[in-house]
Amino acid sequence: MAALPFELAPAIAALPFVSFLIALLVGAFAPRLLPKGGAIPGILATAGSLLLSIWAFVAVSGSADGMYHEYITWVAGAGEATLDLHFGILLDPLSTMMLIIVSLVALLVHVFSLGYMNDEGETGLPRYYAGLGLFTASMLSFVFANNLLMAFMFFELVGLCSWLLIGFWFREEGPPSAAKKAFLVTRFGDYFFLVGVVGVLATFGTSMFVGSENMEAFPHIAEQVLAGEGAVEVTTFLGFEPQAWFAVLGLLILGGVVGKSAQFPLHTWLPDAMEGPTPVSALIHAATMVAAGVYLVARIYGFYALLPQVLAFIAFVGGFTALFAATMGVVKKEIKQVLAYSTISQYGYMMLGLGAGGYVAASFHLLTHAFFKALLFLGAGSVIIAMHHNENMWDMGGLKEKMPVTYYAFLSGSLALAGIVPFSGFWSKDEVLYEAFVHGLNSPLLLGAYAMGLLAVFFTGFYTFRMVFLTFHGEPRTDTARDPHGVGWNVKFPLAVLGILAAVTGLVNMVPVQKLLGVEGIDFLHQWLDAGPEVLSAHHYSTLTHDFAHYTAGTIGSADLTVLLSAGVSLGLALAGAGAAWLLYDVPEPVRHTDRLGRIKTVLFNNYYQDEFQVWLAQGVTLPVAKAADKFDQGVIDGVVNGASSVSLFGGSRIKRVQTGVVSNYAFLLTTGLIVLLVAFGIMGGWF
Amino acid sequence: MVPIEYYLLLSAAVFCIGVFGILTRRNALLFLMSVELLLNAANINLVAFSRFHGNLTGQTFSLFTLALAAAEVAIGIGIVLVLYRNFDDVDVTEATTMRW
Amino acid sequence: MWIEALIAVTLLSAFAVFLSPDGAAGKLAFALSLLPLAGSLWMYSTYEASGNALLAGSELAFEETFQWVVAGDYALQWHVGLDGISMPLVALTTVLTSLALLASWTPIDERQSQFYGLMLFLEASLLGVFSALDFFVWFVFWEMVLVPMYVLIGVWGGPRRKYAAIKMFVYTNLASLVMFIGFVALVFGLGDVNSFDMPTVAQALRGGELGSLGPVGPDALKVAAFVAMFAGFAVKVPVVPFHTWLPDAHVEAPTPVSIMLAGVLLKMGTYALLRFNFTMLPGVAQDYATIIALFAVVSVIYGAMLALAQSDLKRIVAYSSVSSMGYVILGLVAYSLYGLGGATFQMIAHGLISGLMFMAVGVIYNTTHTRMVSDMSGLASKMPFTVTVFVAGAFGYMGLPLMAGFAAELFIFLGAFQSTVLASAPLFTAAAMFGIVIVAGYLLFAMQRTLFGPFEVETDYEVGHAAFHDVAPLVVLILLVVALGVDPGIFYDMIQNAVDPLVKTAGGGA
Repeated sequence: MAALPFELAPAIAALPFVSFLIALLVGAFAPRLLPKGGAIPGILATAGSLLLSIWAFVAVSGSADGMYHEYITWVAGAGEATLDLHFGILLDPLSTMMLIIVSLVALLVHVFSLGYMNDEGETGLPRYYAGLGLFTASMLSFVFANNLLMAFMFFELVGLCSWLLIGFWFREEGPPSAAKKAFLVTRFGDYFFLVGVVGVLATFGTSMFVGSENMEAFPHIAEQVLAGEGAVEVTTFLGFEPQAWFAVLGLLILGGVVGKSAQFPLHTWLPDAMEGPTPVSALIHAATMVAAGVYLVARIYGFYALLPQVLAFIAFVGGFTALFAATMGVVKKEIKQVLAYSTISQYGYMMLGLGAGGYVAASFHLLTHAFFKALLFLGAGSVIIAMHHNENMWDMGGLKEKMPVTYYAFLSGSLALAGIVPFSGFWSKDEVLYEAFVHGLNSPLLLGAYAMGLLAVFFTGFYTFRMVFLTFHGEPRTDTARDPHGVGWNVKFPLAVLGILAAVTGLVNMVPVQKLLGVEGIDFLHQWLDAGPEVLSAHHYSTLTHDFAHYTAGTIGSADLTVLLSAGVSLGLALAGAGAAWLLYDVPEPVRHTDRLGRIKTVLFNNYYQDEFQVWLAQGVTLPVAKAADKFDQGVIDGVVNGASSVSLFGGSRIKRVQTGVVSNYAFLLTTGLIVLLVAFGIMGGWF
Repeated sequence: MVPIEYYLLLSAAVFCIGVFGILTRRNALLFLMSVELLLNAANINLVAFSRFHGNLTGQTFSLFTLALAAAEVAIGIGIVLVLYRNFDDVDVTEATTMRW
Repeated sequence: MWIEALIAVTLLSAFAVFLSPDGAAGKLAFALSLLPLAGSLWMYSTYEASGNALLAGSELAFEETFQWVVAGDYALQWHVGLDGISMPLVALTTVLTSLALLASWTPIDERQSQFYGLMLFLEASLLGVFSALDFFVWFVFWEMVLVPMYVLIGVWGGPRRKYAAIKMFVYTNLASLVMFIGFVALVFGLGDVNSFDMPTVAQALRGGELGSLGPVGPDALKVAAFVAMFAGFAVKVPVVPFHTWLPDAHVEAPTPVSIMLAGVLLKMGTYALLRFNFTMLPGVAQDYATIIALFAVVSVIYGAMLALAQSDLKRIVAYSSVSSMGYVILGLVAYSLYGLGGATFQMIAHGLISGLMFMAVGVIYNTTHTRMVSDMSGLASKMPFTVTVFVAGAFGYMGLPLMAGFAAELFIFLGAFQSTVLASAPLFTAAAMFGIVIVAGYLLFAMQRTLFGPFEVETDYEVGHAAFHDVAPLVVLILLVVALGVDPGIFYDMIQNAVDPLVKTAGGGA
């Protein structure tokens, strides 16, 4: 029997689910009984989840095999070649780390919502907190899922919650439309994911992430098959060799990742999703749900590490998205839009890290980004409260003095986002770029992805500080900015917590320092992710990328020089971007310098016309095809059906004219019939 | 003895006259008469074959036919009367209300 | 005894309701419909059976046989019984009928006793269809279903009710004729098997006893009979291109009739396909798997595209039924355990979910008196409860995990993907699966326009809360859908038990 914290593991997700039920049912039938519109149950539940997650984290580090794995059968297949489907919990270093991130951010967002929603007198609060509770429950279940199918199921459920919460202000035109777009675009990605899940189940007979007594994990089976070990055999389909078929499966699953983590070309929903309440953006569209895609790749990294082509694809998509989104962030005028594009860009970095073989680096960036981006969104939320829900940065300015807590927290997050030493973002982004760089030295494709990622660092520094300077520095540009609305403790407290975290989280994994100064043992995260079961450990993954994907680290000069060079270049670029922003925007009356870009700005401002393209795909292609199909259906298919009836009716209307009502005609017909019969019989009987 | 063929020819001739009457006449009474001719053509056949085969069944049957014809005339004349009452005429082509 | 009692009680209830006064008919019918409901639930709880009703070595629940008519060499017998395929459908029928009766209280305001009587008569016929095991008994019930349906649409329907009712009746009746000829030809081809007993015929056919019929050899006879029966049932399902009667019927039918039509009547088609085509002639089904799968994929995608083009909420749901039933065909043709099991499970899941959607559209129609997407917006602010249920139902239709639709579609996709009888099965599966994107598209578009945004309705009626008896059945259905989604084993275990012998004895994937 499992130890105590593990027995309570289901409660990590069950607690927020209970808060969802409370908010939903009590909110529907007795709203007056619900304290703070459901916020209190939500806060208690997420706090409970956080405590249990930390307990599980501690327990995992203390357990013998470094993980806890338990599952039940959801559907038992009959027959000989059974295919069972399971629900289960897998607690290992990666998932417990993610559990803490999710429950911590969820808790802080619940607290922040007291200030952002309750104090602002929003209606429909039970609905809001029900959505947050359901989201937290689904996300936590996704995180500790022990197999791909269960992961997919909760992956979809978080999509539902995202839809519900983006469309929270349903009485307006914008939010429902944005919610629909978000769900639809991610659904498009999830379609490929589902095909991939079905394919994995059909190929391996299991979708487990980690093996148990009577079932192997599918990445492990794949590894054995590709290594040609033993008698392991799998069914491949459509005449593919295992290597190619696995690559197909990997790419299919990646569809869901690209959709949820808002990677090119399915990134368009995320900026629109900013129509939702800002705490929701912080929780769902920055720290957690968008991370689900990247987390999934990390979760089954043992599978992706076997597939060099897919890895290269991941890296390239990641690097491209990082650059692509960063350029658009440069010209946005609304604070949340800038953050949205920066989110897309940062998830690009994580993909780049994963594709480049940097499993730890990507997980590290996932961790730091969750904190500093949640911080930035909540900071933006605080600014938005102050600005009476005006999000346009050109209407702000000079808020630094008015709201110091928000300013310093926001600054901490911005420094982390821009990647300025020693804030957390520097360490993680540097490690991602370092991994891409050293592996890229032996692979031109990776080097290209690295170059794009590196270039994006400059833009990141620029747009981040453009945002900071426009919002907080200079002179107030409007009356609301001169006299902002105050914010309460429930806003400041989450900002302070996250501000500190954004500054110091980087210290958990100071790999460059370790390499340069030779201080052993300060790469805590690396050790942590290496500590779990063998098949899920970081060193196993690096063995796999080395053996199967032939990733080898190159150096320029010495190893130390490579580390210095990589870190120096990225830091230099970040500082250059920040400096450019400082020169241009840290003035009392900033002007719209980006206008000088002319048509380039128009293109950037319109997001490279990606949204127009997708809307055209939906309304310019799909809808006319549907209309044409409807015309075809009504005209041709139903036409044939109605035609059959018209022909019979018309025929009947003609033939019935035989019934003239004149007796003589009937007599004539009778006689004719008789004669014809006689003649016929005569001919047949041979009378003539 | 007169050969059977003569009787059959006679019967066929009477039958044809009857059919001709039905096809060409418009007066309901003439219709009725033509039907009588048809029946009698059948009677001639029955009697002739009865004699030819030396079997009395045919003659018995022709008696039934006569009775039937009487009944038919009774009903027929009734119909003619109703026809006249409804259409003020005994012209069968006038009464065409029972059509499509 | 129990099945006879079930049908007899339902029939007697129908007569009692016919004779009752108009005002009381609705409540009386609902109360009486609880009897078969309780009966079927009792049957479910005591259900003990194994194997497939038509195959040897099976143990049926509540089986009953006696000689009925002896005509020449042929003996017709009364033969009823339930296995894992029919038991869930019987339960579905009783549950949906009771809820549909509750949903009739608001919209049906004239000739009430006749309406409710016919609804119960419909239920009795449907119970007969799903429990009969002799072809003639089955066929009598099969045709009996059409009569109340025709009247229900033709009398209580919308403006074009006569057109819709006649179209439905003639189309499906003609199809029944084709199917009847096909089956009878098979029986005659069997030579000395002088029986229309379905298990006997099925076992003889699977045993390869089919001889020639006149100049037609056994192989050609098999194919011809398969085609005839497939065409006959395809109209009922309906499979594209035999589907055009369905949207017309749905649009004209009153809400409760739509619920029964989408929820139960369509399942007759797939149930019969499974019982006749895929059980009796598995060889032909496997030889022509590619063509049938093509029908399935076209139904899914084309049906969904048509739904996308509609502007009437009810037409949207009607076309999406075509799309969803396409999945059932895909599962059947896969001829694997998950495929056949998933197809049967989808019958139940779609029955509940489409019933739910039609009911929700009906509740909206009751209050707004319009169903056109363009005529309303922002209903969520006026009728929050109904809209919540509508949203839940719509997401159920989209196959949200932990709801019945997802489980059913997942099983079908799993079964179809690894089908060994269908060439390039993964491609067909992937093509059909694209339906889940389109379904999300049209339902989200429709919801965005009607439920959200600023409130506006282009009618003169005052939009208020829906009555309790309107929303109560919706809640019941949602709970059922979620229950089946969280634990599909409620029905899936017995379904699997009944389809497993089919796969085992005829080859096919796992």
